[in-house]
Amino acid sequence: MTKPETILKAEDIHKSFGRLEVLKGISLEARNHDVISILGSSGSGKSTFLRCLNFLEIPTSGKVTVHGEEILVKNGKPQNVRHIEDIRSRLGMLFQQFNLWTHRTALENVMEGPVQVKREPKADARDRAEALLKRVGLEDRMHMYPSQLSGGQQQRVAIARALAMEPDAILFDEPTSALDPELVGEVLKVMQSLAAEGRTMIVVTHEMGFAREVSSEVVFLHEGRIAEQGPPDEMFTHPKTEVFERFISKVK
Amino acid sequence: MNPLEILIEYWPRLLDGTLMTLKLTILGALIAGLVSPSLALIRVHAAPMAQAPLRLYVSFMRGTPILAQLFLIFYGSGQFRPTLEEWGLWTFFRDPFNCALLAFALNSTAYQTEILRGGIMGVPQGEIEAAKAIGMSRPKILRRVVFPHAYRIAWPALGNEVILLMKASALASVVTVFDVMGRTRQIFSRTFDFSVYLWAALVYLCITAAFVLLWRQAERRLSRHIHAPGMPRASAQPFKESQA
Repeated sequence: MTKPETILKAEDIHKSFGRLEVLKGISLEARNHDVISILGSSGSGKSTFLRCLNFLEIPTSGKVTVHGEEILVKNGKPQNVRHIEDIRSRLGMLFQQFNLWTHRTALENVMEGPVQVKREPKADARDRAEALLKRVGLEDRMHMYPSQLSGGQQQRVAIARALAMEPDAILFDEPTSALDPELVGEVLKVMQSLAAEGRTMIVVTHEMGFAREVSSEVVFLHEGRIAEQGPPDEMFTHPKTEVFERFISKVK
Repeated sequence: MNPLEILIEYWPRLLDGTLMTLKLTILGALIAGLVSPSLALIRVHAAPMAQAPLRLYVSFMRGTPILAQLFLIFYGSGQFRPTLEEWGLWTFFRDPFNCALLAFALNSTAYQTEILRGGIMGVPQGEIEAAKAIGMSRPKILRRVVFPHAYRIAWPALGNEVILLMKASALASVVTVFDVMGRTRQIFSRTFDFSVYLWAALVYLCITAAFVLLWRQAERRLSRHIHAPGMPRASAQPFKESQA
């Protein structure tokens, strides 16, 4: 059996805001088909770390490699800025607040990346966007604006928007945290189906069920460092560190 | 003469003045509209020191009477005639229409810059992040996300500015431009009939009314995603089970 190829690699990521050091050297490797859940209490740096992976937040230092293309950051300055847009287009990103473009319809949101960034012909992009929206169960909402959709529907459009770029991996930044409880399930279900078809995903989440049942690896951040890391079953049944044990007992 | 006779006799001149007023206003607003987006971006993003000259310009334009600005350009250019001739600019400044247009464009640029700056600052940050995350280049983010929002937000205020500019354009008559006001004064000096001023007022009123109508149409189009008519709100609909 061949070793699955590395899709994304982060090495020794540091990030400070002023004097406050939020990330104190985090390394992470995502191989093809990995679903990595990043857990941690608020302030542990998990969202910041995720945002460093596609340079929405510029790390203070570290190295990010996506599909062989690497960006080295020293003293808060990325060494090859030109690759940033390229890396971003290879990584899908989902936000807590969905961040759909409110002046475009669901369909236009999904078409935007392929047409504007990848310069695909509009007709092709439209066909694929329609198929993707159908896939997330929104074929009858395609021509609606985000303001006419529920939170769960908006997040599903956002998932379709990310998929339309045919990303190597998808980053999820607490994708269900802003949703009403009854809408969480529909989004998790779509995420689960993505995992099942072998998508590489890195998920910052508070959904313990998802972390436990869907992910292939769990990373627990504590005070800017990886405190514990491993397969979910093992970690949840036999936590090795006291902080993680306390964390799971609190969220249960 | 009664008011109607004045109109019947002099309407061609009033019409001519109306076209001049429209020309001044539209060109002035348009030039300002082309320049202000980049200036507004400088106001939002540039370092405080780098935008100091721009702020000075805006303060001057907003803090002094537009009539003073017009005189400064019209009479001021006369003072520098030899220099301007040397530079080949005198033919431009010799024409009062050009002076008025320049004054109005400069003035409106300052106002439109500030209005648009407010619009740009109101763009939802998350939507910009989403555009970045998908790999969009900066110019594209401006064109596809920032300005569509900024113009929607700024639209009513921009409309106000154009109306103010249209009314201020009456000042051009002082430097012998024959706009509505210029023609009206000309007609009055011949007839000494006060009613011609009423007709002038009516012309301005009609221009404003037509403009407001058009502007509101455009506003509705720009913000159609906020209150899309005839479509039920999502919250009123039962959730349809996803097939995924």
